[in-house]
Amino acid sequence: MKNYFEDIGALPRSHNVVAAYVVGFVLSLLLTLLAYALVVQNALPHQMLIAAIIAAALLQFIVQVYCFLHLDGQQGSRDRLIVFGFAALVVGILVSGSLWIMFSLNGRMMPDPAQMEQYMNNEGGF
Amino acid sequence: MNDTNEILSVDERSKGSTTVFGFWLYLMTDLVLFASLFAVFAVLRGPAFGGASMGNMFSLPYVLVETIVLLSSSFACGIALLCARAGSIRGALAWLSATFVLGAIFVGMEVSEFSSLIAQGDGPSKNGFLSSYFTLVGTHGTHVAIGLLWLLILIVAMLQRGLTHGNMRKLALFAMFWHFLEIVWIFIFTIVYLTGSL
Repeated sequence: MKNYFEDIGALPRSHNVVAAYVVGFVLSLLLTLLAYALVVQNALPHQMLIAAIIAAALLQFIVQVYCFLHLDGQQGSRDRLIVFGFAALVVGILVSGSLWIMFSLNGRMMPDPAQMEQYMNNEGGF
Repeated sequence: MNDTNEILSVDERSKGSTTVFGFWLYLMTDLVLFASLFAVFAVLRGPAFGGASMGNMFSLPYVLVETIVLLSSSFACGIALLCARAGSIRGALAWLSATFVLGAIFVGMEVSEFSSLIAQGDGPSKNGFLSSYFTLVGTHGTHVAIGLLWLLILIVAMLQRGLTHGNMRKLALFAMFWHFLEIVWIFIFTIVYLTGSL
């Protein structure tokens, strides 16, 4: 009974799990407040500010995946880690691919009215 | 159940670990669902015709409180798991109750945010940006609301039968689900609210 969660792979066997939760909570709280303060204070130039809060989010993501979901690559979490890696690949392709397609479409699809007029005249319409 | 050092049967152990892995596979497909909603949001967030602009639509302090409430709920759920492991059903139930109350506050805050947006005429049908906003944040909120229902059922089951292997397994799955939703919220907070208010 005592080791049930370890036996089914829901908690790691080896390291101190209570500490992992407390550290995860405190770090997440700090990263959230940091990102919030950066935005409210408008502390950095626009591009750097966006890069900084996304970096804080990714860091918090890693902290929570490690401390709360115990995805540390040790025995018992390895299978989950492999599936997680594949899901991350799919997510990366899905999000970056969508943005790439949609924003390059945007650039190519909107000639200004004068260009459009010229095109219509030269080509005899669509 | 009285013997805390009881050795699990091979059956019970492999059933438990298969269930955890299978549930993990579900979470990963759910992650792909959220990723596609994020992609839609990122595409449609640009200048929209009519409706509120992102900058003055949200109150950031309000969203910060929402975020901290959900994070605390996730933490409380993890501690409940540790109490259950230590065999303390009272501790587990107390922390699960805290998880439930914090989760309910989160859902309540989100519902009131949505209804005030709709009341001022910025509902999901106003423009593409608002549609994608309501879909993304609403899908997350629906997950949390369903999680609350699940948690309620789990608490009743634990009150009735105590820390049986079945209940422990359900608790482990619920904890994964709850942590997962908090992780999705990190990105909603950052991408929708923080970058939206810039």
